[in-house]
Amino acid sequence: MTTLFSTKAARPALALLGLGVGLAGCQPNIDSNSPAPSAGSANFSRYIAVGNSLTAGYADNGLYLEGQQNSYPAILAAQFAQAGGGAFNQPLFTAAQASGSGYLRLSGFTAAGSPITTTVPGTAGRFTPTAAPYTKYLSRVDNLGVPGIQLSDIQTANLGNLAPLRNYAASNFNPYFERITPDGSSDTYFQRVKAEVAGTSGTPAATFFTCWLGNNDVLGYATAGGAVASSSITRTDTFNLKALRIVNALTAGGAKGVVSNIPDVTGIPFFTTVGAAARTNFAAASVPTAAPFVYTTGILSPAASNTRVATTLASIRDASGSGNLLLTLTASPYIGLYGQPTGKYWRDFYAQAKPGLPATIPTLGVFLTVLAVDTTKAFGQSSQNPFPSTLVLDATEQTAVATATTAYNTSLLNAANAKGLAFFDANSYFRSIAAGGTATNGVNNTADFIRGNLFSLDGVHPTPRGYALVANEIIKVINAKYGSTIAQVNGNDYRGVQLP
Amino acid sequence: MQVKSILLAGGALLAATSGAQASGFQVGLTGAKNVGMGGTGTGLYLDQASQFFNPGAFAFAPTGFQIGGNIAIPRISFRPGDADQGQRNLQNANVFPFSGFVGFGPKEGKWRLGLGVYTPFGSELHYAQGWEGRYSLTDINLRSVTAQATVAYAITPQFSIGGGLTALVLGDVDLQRDIPVQAQGSSQPAHATLTGKADHKLGYNIGVMFKPSEKLSVGLSYRSAVDAHVGDGDIKITGLPASAAANFTATKFDVTLPLPDVYSFGIGVRPSDKLLLAFDANLVGWSRYQSLDFKYTNGVLGGSNVTSSSSKRQYQNALAFRVGGQYKVTDHFTVRAGTFYDFSAVRDGFVTPETPDADRVGITAGLGYTFGERFGIDASFLYEDFMKRSQSQADLVSLGTADRVAGTYKTNIFVPGVQLYVKF
Repeated sequence: MTTLFSTKAARPALALLGLGVGLAGCQPNIDSNSPAPSAGSANFSRYIAVGNSLTAGYADNGLYLEGQQNSYPAILAAQFAQAGGGAFNQPLFTAAQASGSGYLRLSGFTAAGSPITTTVPGTAGRFTPTAAPYTKYLSRVDNLGVPGIQLSDIQTANLGNLAPLRNYAASNFNPYFERITPDGSSDTYFQRVKAEVAGTSGTPAATFFTCWLGNNDVLGYATAGGAVASSSITRTDTFNLKALRIVNALTAGGAKGVVSNIPDVTGIPFFTTVGAAARTNFAAASVPTAAPFVYTTGILSPAASNTRVATTLASIRDASGSGNLLLTLTASPYIGLYGQPTGKYWRDFYAQAKPGLPATIPTLGVFLTVLAVDTTKAFGQSSQNPFPSTLVLDATEQTAVATATTAYNTSLLNAANAKGLAFFDANSYFRSIAAGGTATNGVNNTADFIRGNLFSLDGVHPTPRGYALVANEIIKVINAKYGSTIAQVNGNDYRGVQLP
Repeated sequence: MQVKSILLAGGALLAATSGAQASGFQVGLTGAKNVGMGGTGTGLYLDQASQFFNPGAFAFAPTGFQIGGNIAIPRISFRPGDADQGQRNLQNANVFPFSGFVGFGPKEGKWRLGLGVYTPFGSELHYAQGWEGRYSLTDINLRSVTAQATVAYAITPQFSIGGGLTALVLGDVDLQRDIPVQAQGSSQPAHATLTGKADHKLGYNIGVMFKPSEKLSVGLSYRSAVDAHVGDGDIKITGLPASAAANFTATKFDVTLPLPDVYSFGIGVRPSDKLLLAFDANLVGWSRYQSLDFKYTNGVLGGSNVTSSSSKRQYQNALAFRVGGQYKVTDHFTVRAGTFYDFSAVRDGFVTPETPDADRVGITAGLGYTFGERFGIDASFLYEDFMKRSQSQADLVSLGTADRVAGTYKTNIFVPGVQLYVKF
């Protein structure tokens, strides 16, 4: 028998075997499609964020630690850090005070599928001027997002100072601004921004900024159903003036940045959820769409005319978009009482309005008489027990909102262009989300309340994932404008609404 | 409460049962001689593996028994598109395709009968925890075994026909993915595991061979399409928040994976006693696979009225071209080599994590050694290199395939194999 392998024949065999073993260990290497992060013509060494609740990381109807940690400026700063960005300090609540102002938490669903929320209590917060203040945060602040601030109020003195005594209102006192303002300082928000831009002994001058102010100038009016006198739409000329001032202040030292505009408030789940759900429930209960729906329009107050408008249920906008009346998220506890002889809304309204009522209206009974409300009549059906204006945004009010929003956005675009700044068209972005949603790595995200992943439990402010997608959009406009190559984040790494 | 419907994107059974030669996650691994020669075989009658490649050619093959196995060693890498946190290397798992055939008949006679069993493929992929495509797929494990009975008849010494009846005797699938629903206080989203067994489906193959001379042989064969159907698969969901439980009540699923038919053409040329050259072309009918549709029974999955889901596939027919040869160095020792180019069945923008398919180039080598007249051993080595394949989020959105992940895949597979045979 011949030898098993002649040495001559064995050599190629062994070579092949060796090649094989070598190849087997080989993990393919894929070079990155994107270039290494770089700053382009921008400088991220000190980034400051100017804005309101959206900038502060407000979510679930409150400002709390987890929300702050997932604010879009925090996400941006982490990405900037890969391209020369420096430290980014936020006025975070401590771990012991992590619940911040308190916030909503989803505790379950009703049999009909409506969400049940409970409030996680906050640790302090000037809900009234006599309530305990927040613990001051006086260290370096790079995230100047102040929940509730309007562009029209950025030059109001003592915005963060209880003294001098006055009729406190959101327009002249802000507890979140108080939290980051030294005791006794009469500084306006504008002065604070200018100081941060210039830098102090402890902080460098700002080299980059994002500015997202102006939402509250129309949002307060809208979320109150256009029915609260003190929540009015800022005049366009005032808005334009303040917009130019803040952009000038931000660019005074040569910093570059991004200006963001105002989304359509009517595309957010705060306005799109309750009406659509109510129409579905009415249909399921065989309530005809021709059934009467009577609501008040304009300011709802004993001093106002409280004009009734009579229409039908078909006017309430349903899931497919037909109907021109929007119901607010706050209408949720009341719309189910349609057609019943109930005074629940009016009692709640009275309890809330009582401190400000004149002496001529000492009791609930007088209050109802002045409003011409008879709680023995069918709620929302009879002109004597109408659905209140605070819970309805009708066509007139929507037009006022839309007109103002368009004018504001023109001002903001002009201000950005005048200084050659990048511009994030949040209006278009949120409109596309409301129309069709956006997919992140195999997950569909929409503007639907709770299940859409993008909006938190207050129906207005985004979830961490929503803020991450906003950060990605801002990164795109920065890269386009300044030639930088900042990497985006994976939206799915940030949570949507977690379910009980 | 309505939870968005989940689009289950399991293309699992894809490669399992057809023995298709091209694309998907498959390599033709029946017969170590054929593997060593680039996967050619339609125009050859070397051994019992011809029952698989061309049952007509089987009439001219020797009788005997052979059994062989392979280790398929895949290395798959993925790099996401936009939010690039670095390359993801899959926890690659080796799979062990095997085949065995026996052929009977009179030595100089006109007919042959054969039995065979083979694994057209098995696949096992485990993606990294929390990878970008976790909501499309996290793990997949497929196993399949097909049995075949073949008969062949040489009508004249130059022309033969044959046919085989195939049966899928084992087809297991285990598919897992994360569900984009998360419970309060949990660090992980919910997770779905789908397991099932495929029905025992029958199929067939047929073939003819022309042998005008000892130097030339030409073969044509056809393998039928078999739908892999899992009728009674199990669904298991973990980590679901209590409030979402009512939307994930389904316990069983039903899915049909249309598998392709294959047309093959092959030529064998023997310029001398020692040298054999072969050329094969395959056309694999993947265009039958347009979408992957799941039906859920005993409840819903993903929403209060969601009892089914559909994911676009729109596969296209795929060609493969193969060239190979063997050279008898001595009476006992033979070397083989080959190469092939295999076009992808998956269109641009449709690549899914369970089948990161791409055009591929293969190089093969083989050795054969005979002990005496009757016994022998063959070794084969196959290296398959997939072209880099990318798709962007914009591509996915415009094609309606946003239920999968944007990024770049690159795969290579190394498959050593060995086979023993006895002629009788």
